[in-house]
Amino acid sequence: MSAMDPTEVFRQEASELFEVLEGALLDLGQRPDDRELVDSAFRALHTIKGSGAMFGFDKVASFTHEFETAFDRVRKGEIKPTQELISVALAAKDYIRALIEDPQSTDDIIGEAILDDLKRFVSSDRPAAGVAEIVEAPPLAPVHSKQAGWHLYLEFESHILRNGSNPLDLLDDLCKLGPCFVVPVTDGIPFLDEMDPEDCYLKWDVKLHAACDKAAIDDVFMFVSDEMKLTLSPLEQVEAPAPAPLFQLLDEEPAPVVEMPTPVVEVVAAPVAVEPAAKAEPKPAVKPEAKLESKPEAKAEAKRDDRGIATVRVQAERLDELMDRVGELVIAQARLTQLAASGSDLSIKMIAEEIERLASSLRDTTMGARMVPIGSLFGRFRRLIHDLSRDLSKPVEFVTTGEDTELDKTMIECLADPLVHLIRNAIDHGIEDTATRMANGKTEQGRIELAAVHSGAQVLVTVKDNGGGLNTARIRAKAEEQGLIAAGAVLTDHEIHQFLFHPGFSTAQTISALSGRGVGMDVVKRTIENMRGSIDLSTRSGEGTTVTLRLPLTLAIIEGLLIRVGEGRYIIPLSAVEECIELTAEDERSRGRNFLNVRGKLVPFLKLREIMTASGTPDRHQKTIIISTGETHVGLVVDQIIGNHQTVIKSLSKLHSDVTIFSGATILGDGTAALILDVAQLVALAQSKVEKQHISEAA
Amino acid sequence: MSSDMTEPKWSLRLPADCSIAAIRSVYDLIREAFGRQDRLEIDCSSVDKADVTSIQLLLSAAKTGDAQGRPVVLTSFSQSLRNTLRRAGFASEAMIDQHFPQRKDGV
Repeated sequence: MSAMDPTEVFRQEASELFEVLEGALLDLGQRPDDRELVDSAFRALHTIKGSGAMFGFDKVASFTHEFETAFDRVRKGEIKPTQELISVALAAKDYIRALIEDPQSTDDIIGEAILDDLKRFVSSDRPAAGVAEIVEAPPLAPVHSKQAGWHLYLEFESHILRNGSNPLDLLDDLCKLGPCFVVPVTDGIPFLDEMDPEDCYLKWDVKLHAACDKAAIDDVFMFVSDEMKLTLSPLEQVEAPAPAPLFQLLDEEPAPVVEMPTPVVEVVAAPVAVEPAAKAEPKPAVKPEAKLESKPEAKAEAKRDDRGIATVRVQAERLDELMDRVGELVIAQARLTQLAASGSDLSIKMIAEEIERLASSLRDTTMGARMVPIGSLFGRFRRLIHDLSRDLSKPVEFVTTGEDTELDKTMIECLADPLVHLIRNAIDHGIEDTATRMANGKTEQGRIELAAVHSGAQVLVTVKDNGGGLNTARIRAKAEEQGLIAAGAVLTDHEIHQFLFHPGFSTAQTISALSGRGVGMDVVKRTIENMRGSIDLSTRSGEGTTVTLRLPLTLAIIEGLLIRVGEGRYIIPLSAVEECIELTAEDERSRGRNFLNVRGKLVPFLKLREIMTASGTPDRHQKTIIISTGETHVGLVVDQIIGNHQTVIKSLSKLHSDVTIFSGATILGDGTAALILDVAQLVALAQSKVEKQHISEAA
Repeated sequence: MSSDMTEPKWSLRLPADCSIAAIRSVYDLIREAFGRQDRLEIDCSSVDKADVTSIQLLLSAAKTGDAQGRPVVLTSFSQSLRNTLRRAGFASEAMIDQHFPQRKDGV
């Protein structure tokens, strides 16, 4: 097992942090008052900075530090994150990503320009420098204040310094809240031989004389709350004047630590009050019974508990490899089961059943390990919509649901590009410009919903907009113009909309940078069908369009229905099977029309013997399997239904890539191959036969 | 890294960078000097970068020397080191004296 390159580990971690950061920034645009979002963005920034420094990405660390500093006023609640500020912050995030992933493509001038913009936005409402800032400094406790302040005991985890965190910076920040009396606790310092010089051994006992609330202190430690123990208790009320902010009077670099006048230390009834010149080393404060557990500490405790459920980062190729091995095991198990069934040895049959059970369980576990929440994909589109909305001057609200829905990681990767096409189309063609929307009595802001939901063994992903809907008349006119249909042909709206998936078909009157070239929807459809999924459109004029993608949960192993047609055996994905019925003599007599009457509903059927050009005589009692893709149902007439089969999908060779009715192949228990039927293609074939029948009857 | 063992034999001058980035090599220097000398004087005049790790290392050196009966004396604290000490809460001269045995011939 080869170890991963540490910088690669950092890149991967940073990539996840960028998603968090981007998500938080985009959400801030919608909810500028949400403190948790600001904190989340800052935590991500801080970790990127710390890890960047640790792995030698000095430029990343220094740029991120500047970014953090400039954005600090947002964290402090002094300014609100405006859309302009969010845009610049996003650009800064992109720059940091480029510094990590492709440093050659970056230019310091760009970085400086971004930082200048950032500083300009955050300082636009900054009060005048100098005196004004001193006036704006954290308020000191008034004379005879009843609020004495806080007693803190800080103990950091030993590795904290390696992460790039600096306790001295935190102490500085703490001292900005008000006069601080900081006492280092040195009893944890080991002898030289026992020491790791990069570990943190110092602890601190701090008395903060400020009328700040606990949240302000939590803010100081929010980035390290997982890596420290913070004990917080209120100082008892005093009737003495608060100490003067001596740091403002120092002539040298303002030292954040303030030496408190002795009387103050004496009157503060803290658990342990140690004078600077005390002989004995300060001891940790005896925690009062009624002490308050700070929020960061509580969080830290919770997270420590969570560490019990540890996660392990595994290379994607290894998961693929594991899935391949499980596939081979499933095939071998099928052979064993078949062999055991043909013999009479009961013990072998029992072992075969046991192995079948174990293989099935291993398959499910392995597939589960490959499942990724689709939310990781949805997050990417938020930025896309943000940018498109800005570029096209179409305010758009983006709503996602079902982010927890899990899909195989390969499916997630394949789904990204089709969704980009669909979302671009929705904004560019679907959502009307603001003036049109207002004229039609709609809200100024358009809306795009991206949703995922489980439906049996499938996942439905929908992209829905509340734009103008498809212009059916224009699509039809274009189809006629391109010779795809005869003028005056009778077609349903649904059939007309299918032309949008025809290669090179576009009704856009102008070609934009985003869409209109007619290369998109056909690619989307092909990609989805290659994933053994299907795509469906529904639209209402003036109300919007919904595109629904139906996807199997996985591309690797599926439950299939094994059937026989002539001498050949085939697999139908079980997720597409609705029911199995017998083909009656009456149905047989309807030859030429090829429709079944299923509980009063006419369902077209295909005789697979004809499609496969099977030799020999058909079985006397032929079966019909009703399959569906969304709303459309089709019957497949077969000779025999053999039964369920765990199907390990193997790709067809390039030689067979043009045989569209098969989506792959599998190996059966006896070592022979069976082809997997492509349900979407068969349904399309049945529909086209029906259409031809309509046309010939009309003629 | 600029450090040297100068006369008298038991003096060690700390390098400019005593931050976490270089602390391991500073640690090795001090341990090595400890192995050679009965009495160690550490010259802190060149320290330009200091942080929590530098403070801890000096505290540990003093504690180890004290325990082994081999005095460790710190001399000539640089301004940078003093600032770092102050930020860490070693705010008064008395407090610094208490934790860091010094020979005050410098700053």
